[in-house]
Amino acid sequence: MSKISRRDLLQYIGAGGIGAVGGVLYGEGVQRKVELLIPQVIPPEDYSPGVATWYNTVCNQCSAGCGITVRIREGKAKKIEGNPVHPISQGRTCARGQAGLNALYNPDRIRTPMQNVGQTGAGRFVEISWDEALTTVGSRISRLKIEGKANSVRLLSGQVRGHLDELFAQFMDLLGSEHYQQYDFTYPGTIRAANRISFGVEQLPYYDIKNADFLLSFGADYLGTWLSPVHHSLAYGHLRQGRAGQRGKTVQIEPRMSLSGASADEWIPARPGTEGLLALGIANAIVGAGRYLGSDRDQWSVALEAYSPSVVSGKTDVSEDIIVRIAKEFSDNKSSLAIAGGAAAAGTNAVATVVAVNALNYLVGNLNQPGGVIFNSNSAFSTMPSSNQASFQEMLDLVDAMESGEVEVLLVNDTNPVFALPDHVGFRRAMEKVALVVALSTFHDETTQMADLILPTSTYLESWGDDAPDPGVGFPVASISQPVIAKLYDAIPVGDIVLSMARQIGGELPVSMHWSSMEEFIKDRWREEYVSRASDGEDQDFESFWRAALEAGVWGQPGAIDSDPSVPSSASIIASIADPESKFAGNESDYAFVLHPYLTATFLDGRGANLPWLQEMPDPMTSVVYGSWAELNPVTADEMGIREGDILDIESPAGSIRVPALIFPAIRPGVVAIPIGQGHAEYGRYAKDRGVNPINIVAPLMDDQTGDLAWAATRVKVKATGERLHIIKTGGVSRTLGRQILGPSNDHS
Amino acid sequence: MSTIVEKFRQYRKPGYYEKYDYHWAMTIDLDRCTGCEACMVACQAENNIPIVGEEQYAMNREIQWIRIERYWEGEYPNIKMNFMPMLCQQCDDAPCETACPVFATYHNQDGLNTQIYNRCIGTRTCAVYCPYEVRYFNWFTYTWDEPLEQQLNPDVSVREKGIMEKCTFCIQRIRIAKDLAKDDDRRRVRDGEVIPACVQSCPTEALIFGNSNDPEAKVTKMMNNHRGYKVLEELNTTPSIVYLTKAHS
Repeated sequence: MSKISRRDLLQYIGAGGIGAVGGVLYGEGVQRKVELLIPQVIPPEDYSPGVATWYNTVCNQCSAGCGITVRIREGKAKKIEGNPVHPISQGRTCARGQAGLNALYNPDRIRTPMQNVGQTGAGRFVEISWDEALTTVGSRISRLKIEGKANSVRLLSGQVRGHLDELFAQFMDLLGSEHYQQYDFTYPGTIRAANRISFGVEQLPYYDIKNADFLLSFGADYLGTWLSPVHHSLAYGHLRQGRAGQRGKTVQIEPRMSLSGASADEWIPARPGTEGLLALGIANAIVGAGRYLGSDRDQWSVALEAYSPSVVSGKTDVSEDIIVRIAKEFSDNKSSLAIAGGAAAAGTNAVATVVAVNALNYLVGNLNQPGGVIFNSNSAFSTMPSSNQASFQEMLDLVDAMESGEVEVLLVNDTNPVFALPDHVGFRRAMEKVALVVALSTFHDETTQMADLILPTSTYLESWGDDAPDPGVGFPVASISQPVIAKLYDAIPVGDIVLSMARQIGGELPVSMHWSSMEEFIKDRWREEYVSRASDGEDQDFESFWRAALEAGVWGQPGAIDSDPSVPSSASIIASIADPESKFAGNESDYAFVLHPYLTATFLDGRGANLPWLQEMPDPMTSVVYGSWAELNPVTADEMGIREGDILDIESPAGSIRVPALIFPAIRPGVVAIPIGQGHAEYGRYAKDRGVNPINIVAPLMDDQTGDLAWAATRVKVKATGERLHIIKTGGVSRTLGRQILGPSNDHS
Repeated sequence: MSTIVEKFRQYRKPGYYEKYDYHWAMTIDLDRCTGCEACMVACQAENNIPIVGEEQYAMNREIQWIRIERYWEGEYPNIKMNFMPMLCQQCDDAPCETACPVFATYHNQDGLNTQIYNRCIGTRTCAVYCPYEVRYFNWFTYTWDEPLEQQLNPDVSVREKGIMEKCTFCIQRIRIAKDLAKDDDRRRVRDGEVIPACVQSCPTEALIFGNSNDPEAKVTKMMNNHRGYKVLEELNTTPSIVYLTKAHS
C-alpha cells in the first residue's frame, strides 16, 4: 500500500473522496454535503478568530428604516447596534431592533421549501427541493400567462421599499398582472391621504420634534410605535434637555396612556373619536383670540365657527379652560408642532382628524420651519413606483376576488393578513379557493399555514437590499442592506427568489430581469443613480463610491432640499376642513365600552411575538410578559367588581374574545384597551397559543376617505366570566411610598 | 484570610478609589428616559442573559441586569407615570460585598462591584443585602433553543445554576478598551471609548457613562448637574450612579 501523507488524506476528506467512494460502491447516492475536517485552513476574508468585524445594514423590524451595524465574531452575528452615521438612528436602536438577532437565529425558521400534501390549512407539509418548488410555481404562472390570464396572479407583500419594491413591480408588470399590492397594518395611509388633502403632497413629512418647543400629539405614540420611534426618541431627548436653559413641553391626547403619554407633561384623555374636534376647537381658540395674523383670518373664523371651545368641550369632555390654555401655549411658543396618529388616525374620521391637526400646524406657521412640519424632498431613488399599499377596502376586494375564483395564484411575501385582518373578513377561508397559494416567508405563521407551497426567505440580516427611509429626514437618504453573515439553511433572499421565478417563467421576463442576483440588481440600480446624479467634473468612479457606500451603509445629501419650500395655500386647508367626529360600530346602550386596541412597543402589530427577548421584555406601561390583558379604569373595575386576573368576555358586534383584566390607572372610564400582538395560532414556539388578538373583534368600519380599517371605532360589552388567570408581571411596588427615589424634589405620592 | 480582610478594610476607606486611574460611573437622566426598554434587550444580548421562560418568569425568577421601574403618581385623570432604569449602582460601600461569605463579590480598583462566578457558592446573601434588588440568581442552568446559542457573546461567560449575577458595567468592553489603550501606549482610555450596551442603545441619550476620576469626562460634568441625586443615598451605599431628576417646563 502506497503511503498516503497526512496532507493527501486531508485533501481526500476535504473533497469528500472517501465518503463518495463508499457511496458509489454500495450504489447509494451520497447526499451529504462536503465537510472539511479542518475547517477553514485558508480563512475567509474578514475572519480572524477573536476579532470582531462590523457590517452596516438596515433594520427591518418596523418600517422606520433605521441604519444598524452588526457585530460579527467567527462568522456569527453577536450584537446589533445603531449605525452612528445613519441620519435616522444615529447610533441608537429600540428594543425590537436589538431583538433582530432572535429572528436570525430563531429555532422556528423555515429551513427548506415545503409543500402542503394534506387539506389546505391542515398543516401537513413535506420538504421539497428548490427545483421542484420553483418549477411548480413557474410552470403554473407561465401557463396562466400564455392563456392570457396573468391577472389571476396576485402578489401581496408586506411593506417593502427601495428597489425590492421596484423588482416586485417589474416582475408583475412583465407578467401582465396589475395586482401587486402591499399590506401592512401599521401603514399610515390616513396620514398620507390627509397630507395630500391639506398640503397637496401625499407623503410623510419630517416632523421636527427635535427643535420644537411645544409638541401636541393627538394619539401618536411617537416614542413607541409611530412612524420612526428611534428617531423621534433622539429628537425627544433633545427637546427635553438638549438645549441649555430651554426645555420643550409635550402634551398627549389619547384615551389610554401610551409610552409617549407617560413622558408627556400633560396627558389629556379626550373622548375617543373626538380628537379631530379637539384640534378644531384649539384652532378656533387660536383664531378667535387673534393669535393668527394671516390676511385670511376671516375665512378661518368662518370655517371654524362651529367649533367654539364651549361646543367642543361638551363633545370631547375636555374642559374649555384646557382648550383655551393649550391654544395659547400652542400659538405662544416659538416652534409648536402638532402630530396625529395611533387611534386618533384610525377612526371613521381618520383623514378629517389629521386634516384638522394639519390646520393647527398651518395656523402657527410652522410649515417648512425648524421645529415644525418639514416636507421631504424627493426620494433618493428616481425610479420608485408609487405606493402599492392596499387599504382595508382593497383587502376586502381581494378576498372577494379569491372567493369568486378570480385568483389562481396568490404570492404572499412577508405579511400575515390572516392575523392582521379581523377573522370575519374571511381571508383564511378565501385562501382555500385559490388554486395555488405560495408563501414567501421566514417564519411559519397563520398565513403560511394556509399555503400550498412555502418558499423560505432569508432574514434581512442575510439579504441584499436598499431603502429610502419614509418618513425621511428632510433631505435625500438611501441605505444599503447587505448580508452580515452567510445565509442560514436552505432559505433564499426574496429578491433572488423573484429573479429565479422570472427565469423559470421565461419569455421576456429573464430578458428584462437579467440580473443573476439581488446583489447585482441593487448594484446596477445604484450605478444608474450614481451616473444620473454625478454632475460635470465629478468623480465618475462608481466602484469606489459603492465600496464607500457599503462601508457606511448609507448615502445622503444633507442640505440638498430640493422640494418646494413654499408653504401651501391656506385656501385648500380651509376648504378641506370637515367635521371630524368618528362613528362607532355598536350602539352605546348595548356596547358600553369603546375598544382601544393599540400597537405595542414590544410586538408592534404582532410581528415581534416570535422573538423570545421581546416575549420576556415587560410591557413598558404595565410590565406584563407572556400574554394578553384588557385594561380597565380602576373606578370602572371597582364598580363592576372586577379584579386583576378576572377573565373577561369582551364582545363586539363582530365577535368576542376572552382576556384577563388588568387594572390600569391611566385609562378613561368607558374605554377598554387591549394590546395588539399576541394571540397567534401559529408563528413558532414563542408566540403560538399565547394571549388573544383584539383585531379579531374589530368591526369592519372604514375611514370615509381612504377605506383604511377604522380599528379604533368599535364598541364592546365587557363582562366577567367568573374564571381567573394569573397575569405575569415583573411586579414591584407601583408607588414610591415617600421613598424619594425619583429625586428629592419630585416625590408627591 | 487575614490578608484578605486587611485588603478588604483598606479598600473600604473613603478616597481609596481616587488614587487609581478609573472610577467608572454613570448618569441617568430621568427627564430623557421614556421607558422604552431598549437598554434591557441590549443588555440581554450583550451579556448572555438567559431566556428563563414563562413558567420561571411567573415565579419571579427573571434575570434583568437592567430593568425599568414604574411609579404612578396621582389618580385619574391627573395621573403621571415615572420610569426609572434600575441596575447595579456599583456602590463604593456596597452592602453585598460585606455579606458574601466567600468573597465572590468584591470591589476592584476601577470602582466596580465585581462578581466572581467561579467563587460564588450561591448563598444568595448578597441579594438580600442589596437595597436596590439588582442581583439575580440562576435557579437553573438555562439553555438556548438551537440555534439561538450562536448569538452568545464570546466575551462574556455563560452562567450556571447556583450563581448570582448582576450588571458589570459591561466589564468586557472596559477590558477591550484598556487593551487598545495599552497597545497605543496610552495610560488611560479616552472618554467615550467605553460604552456599555445599555448606554449605546439608549435612543434618548438618557444614559451617560465614563470615568468620574477624569474631571473632563462628560459623565463627571453630568454628575455635577443640579438635578443630580443618588437613589437611597441615606443608606450610605455611595452609589456610582447619579440620577438626574425629572425637570418641569
